[in-house]
Amino acid sequence: MVPPAQSQRSPSPSQPSGKGEVSDLKMQLRQLAGSRAPGTDDSKRDLFKKVISYMTIGIDVSSVFSEMVMCSATSDIVLKKMCYLYVGNYAKYNPDLALLTINFLQRDCKDEDPMIRGLALRSLGSLRVPNLVEYLVGPLGAGLKDGNSYVRMVAAVGVLKLYHISASTCFDADFPALLKHLLLNDPDAQVVANCLSALQEIWGQEASSSEEAAREREALISKPIIYYLLNRIKEFSEWAQCTVLELVSKYAPPDSNEIFDIMNLLEDRLQHANGAVVLATIKLFLQLTLSMTDVHQQVYERIKAPLLTLVSSGSPEQSYAVLSHLHLLVMRAPMLFASDYKHLYCQYNEPFYVKKLKLEMLTAVANESNTYEIVTELCEYAANVDIPIARESIRAVGKIALEQYDVNAIVDRLLQFLEMEKDYVTAETLVLVKDLLRKYPQWSHDCIAVIGNISSNNVQEPKAKAALIWMLGEYAQDMQDAPYALEGLIDDWEDETSPEVRLHLLTAVMKCFFRRPPETQKALGSALAAGLADMHQDVHDRALFYYRLLQHNISVANSVVNPTKQAVSVFADTQSSEIKDRIFDEFNSLSVLYQKPCYMFTDKEHQGPFAFSEELGNLSIGVDDQRVEANEEDLLLSTTRKEDSLPQQTQGALLVSLDQNEPAAAHAQQTNSVIDDLFGLGLSSSPSPSSLLKLNAKAVLDPTTFQQKWRQLPVSTSQEGSISPQGVAAMTTPQALVRHMQVHYIHCIASGGQAPNFKLFFFAQKADEPSNFLVECIINTSTSKAHIKIKADDESASQAFSALFQSALSKFGMA
Amino acid sequence: MLQCIFLLSDSGEVMLEKQLTGHRVDRSICAWFWEQSLSQPDSFKVLPVIASPTHYLFQIVREGITFLACTQVEMQPLMGIEFLCRVADVLSDYLGGLNEDVIKDNFVIVYELLDEMIDNGFPLTTEPNILRDMIAPPNIVSKMLSVVTGNTSNVSDTLPGATSSCVPWRTTQLKHANNDVYVNLVEEMDAIINSDGALVKCEIFGVVEVNSHLSGIPDLTLSFANPSILNDVQFHPCVRFRPWESEKVLSFVPPDGLFKLMSYRVKKLRNTPIYVKPQMSSESGTCRLSVMVGIRNDPGKAVDSLVVQFQLPHCVSSANLTANHGTVNILADKTCSWSIGRIPKDKAPQMSGTLVLEDGVEQLQVKPTFRVGFKIMGVALSGLKINKLDLKNLPTPAHKGFRAQTEAGQYEVRS
Repeated sequence: MVPPAQSQRSPSPSQPSGKGEVSDLKMQLRQLAGSRAPGTDDSKRDLFKKVISYMTIGIDVSSVFSEMVMCSATSDIVLKKMCYLYVGNYAKYNPDLALLTINFLQRDCKDEDPMIRGLALRSLGSLRVPNLVEYLVGPLGAGLKDGNSYVRMVAAVGVLKLYHISASTCFDADFPALLKHLLLNDPDAQVVANCLSALQEIWGQEASSSEEAAREREALISKPIIYYLLNRIKEFSEWAQCTVLELVSKYAPPDSNEIFDIMNLLEDRLQHANGAVVLATIKLFLQLTLSMTDVHQQVYERIKAPLLTLVSSGSPEQSYAVLSHLHLLVMRAPMLFASDYKHLYCQYNEPFYVKKLKLEMLTAVANESNTYEIVTELCEYAANVDIPIARESIRAVGKIALEQYDVNAIVDRLLQFLEMEKDYVTAETLVLVKDLLRKYPQWSHDCIAVIGNISSNNVQEPKAKAALIWMLGEYAQDMQDAPYALEGLIDDWEDETSPEVRLHLLTAVMKCFFRRPPETQKALGSALAAGLADMHQDVHDRALFYYRLLQHNISVANSVVNPTKQAVSVFADTQSSEIKDRIFDEFNSLSVLYQKPCYMFTDKEHQGPFAFSEELGNLSIGVDDQRVEANEEDLLLSTTRKEDSLPQQTQGALLVSLDQNEPAAAHAQQTNSVIDDLFGLGLSSSPSPSSLLKLNAKAVLDPTTFQQKWRQLPVSTSQEGSISPQGVAAMTTPQALVRHMQVHYIHCIASGGQAPNFKLFFFAQKADEPSNFLVECIINTSTSKAHIKIKADDESASQAFSALFQSALSKFGMA
Repeated sequence: MLQCIFLLSDSGEVMLEKQLTGHRVDRSICAWFWEQSLSQPDSFKVLPVIASPTHYLFQIVREGITFLACTQVEMQPLMGIEFLCRVADVLSDYLGGLNEDVIKDNFVIVYELLDEMIDNGFPLTTEPNILRDMIAPPNIVSKMLSVVTGNTSNVSDTLPGATSSCVPWRTTQLKHANNDVYVNLVEEMDAIINSDGALVKCEIFGVVEVNSHLSGIPDLTLSFANPSILNDVQFHPCVRFRPWESEKVLSFVPPDGLFKLMSYRVKKLRNTPIYVKPQMSSESGTCRLSVMVGIRNDPGKAVDSLVVQFQLPHCVSSANLTANHGTVNILADKTCSWSIGRIPKDKAPQMSGTLVLEDGVEQLQVKPTFRVGFKIMGVALSGLKINKLDLKNLPTPAHKGFRAQTEAGQYEVRS
């Protein structure tokens, strides 16, 4: 509909090119405009329809604007509606002409038919022309006080539209207060719901700049309003119920009785036909009971049935959204869903994305009692027509095997896969068998017998080939023809395109050499020669390394290549538990569907009217950095796994650190809640302002708490600082500053930006008490200015801290 | 909060665009989306929620028409998807089906509907009964009327009573010459049968449909003989929760016309009404296939519209299949469909023949899955039985009717 759109569309022969037709229309409309003959409305209607259909297919018909407006003086409501639609579309680009429509819209706002009043008001709001807002205020005010609920409902949304055009006009007319009054007193539930949506958005957006707005926003989740809305919940439409439930999930009831009251009141919402309501209710229940472990479990039990019904009742699109949420819950508490595994079986014609989710869930819920049946089911998929699914299901079987249930039977199944003689099945299975052997070396005997029969010619995929080669090297002493198989592969060195395979080949032939020297010597020689001549840097380096190692000392080389290995106990998880928790906090949002917390996908620029988007957007950068580091660690880990040449303690240490990941995160959260408690006490005992502020060198704060605090606390100091020229020079990346500030016990939690603009979030803690300082620091290197915003738990100390921060900042680049 | 809704035809053309907020969404997003969906082999495989470089897109596909909604902010995903589903339902209800022509012919009505259904991104009225009062559907009667009377407005002069009534899904002053109400149990059986004939999973998803044409504000009570078999239930907003909680009866004031009163799930069923036994044996490049079908547990009524379908594996170059009852068709996409119709009394239907495999393939490794369709009128296989339906608050006595039927939903037999 927008004019620019036209240029992007290639003109198709079936569509009118526009120009001629539009001028024709213009003529005809002009003729009709003044006519009062009977039947005019009908011909007008045909013309209007034509105009709108052109608009719909993307032809610019803005040139007939004035004619349309002239024709719009009519009593026919369909004509009016079409005209409103047209005007709403083009008013923004013809603000002067739009003025012409104001007149008749304003008149319609006083019509005796409430439907017309409502429609006119809605259209008036949709004009969105900034210099016409003055004409909107009067009708809106009248609309909010209208006797008919339809008009009030439209007016409530109209206020929001006005706010987006001109916030100041909206506040000057005191509309938010009026909305609040309606919210609490209107007999019509839809009016109440619209007021709520409008207020949420207005206060949400204002909260970052005005403390009063922040207070108002908090007031929306205060007990009286929450209770008032909950008591009317059944009057609301299903959509409004979703909005209310979402609001209630932000409310923290002070005691458990209240929690139970709310849950009792809303229990029947779980039976609602609209999935959105059910999901919103589930979110609320989960949030309410987070701190009550046993009740939380009962909630899981209670919501299971409605979730499973939603999965089977809706269209594939709906099921997918529900399944994603189910997936999240299953991953959090697999044992609670262990008995429902049959619901997770894949149906033949489900789309791939649904099947994949189901496979992951099946893997997660497997335990001692159901493994046999689940694996049997998964094996059915392995023979499936759908190759990606067959692959996924083989991987799932492998994952279950690594979970240690019924390994015996599973190994048998996997070996059966190898006998199916389908290349992709073989490929996937080889990778799995390799992982299995690393975890359960005791199975090597059974596996090797089968692996030995596989001809490497039948394996083409690099990953599978690498796995096969690894096994050939690792179990060279058990496999009769290992050296010869390797020799064959080395002969084809030139044709091998994957460097990964060539790397493995080098290592395998080395291992084999130490176990069966006479048979392998020739192969080793040609492998090293080929490796040294290889174009790939890593391959070349490894070959050179092995060569020198062998030259240096054979026995050392042996201990490097063939160390005694410990079985791997746990494989690294792809997603950290912290991220999973974060996604859980965002239950019933898009995050769950993308399987990422929202900061990872909502772009700051596009976050639109939501508050805190800025902070979230920026925090994300910091966390992303951490993620990158984590990834690097993963990479390191995987290379060490590939190399197999690191001394075992290092490997052990890495594994241990991974093991600790989860409890550590949980622990951090606990400490934080303790800190919060202490802080509450600290305030009451009126802290003394310290002239000499000492900071805690080992302060800890996790991003979630930081975000919460940043949201809650008011800005205590906000000032401009400057950076020395040396500092500007050193500020090539935010990391430089981060390291510098760390020396001063000020820790960075998130950083981002590119020259010349950087934005960093810091925190610091008092040495003697757990009181936090949060800092937002925006640095512009081109002007050498830093804008600093400080929020503090203990406001009295914020001046001292500010001075400390400034002095630390000014020293940046001096050293 | 949705920012824009687009309706795309099956060739990716934008048929309709409805901007909802001040942040305009450019049409180019549709082109981007269409490229994405074309890059997938099957449009069915596009995720319902995807992220474009600038927006998050919700999409559902109905009858070849793509309903696309855009947002830039975090929101409740099901709210978006459910709303689009509702839009699709209401449109197909209003226009008597969904296709490109019917939408293009009636785009004014579509705009009018969208205008009432959503304002500034917040869903408003989606209850079909109320919408019908605000915007008259384009039916033949109203077309005739408009020709005769010359009054062509399809918008009622007054606001619907229901917007201000305490029963928002029902208009207040309804009068019907014949008062009648029909209750229909519609069940779908989902089952998976393993290659060794074992029932892996069998479940019924059912809906209680009510078609009510009653005057005034009637109060209905529906009770079941065996409500305990219901595993999980979902209700239309008109159902009162307390009576169900305490006595397992459905007490409600119905909307006018056809609506879903309740949906339910019954799991762990032990029996299926029919059996389908595929057998395959392959030898030196050909595969012999035979499929037998018959009654396993007589449901008491005729099993009708029986269809067995399966996808021929890629490695099959040609197939020669015949049946002793019904017809066998092999479609262009290598789907083999055997339409049996009603199971004959005297013989067991059987399909048999050979599949010729491509050169170099000795054995058929991939095992097809057979999808089965059937319909049984007059019986609800879950065993759910309606006890009685009480009507109160009616000016005149009404006619009551009950029906039941069971269809195959996702009913598959693995070989």
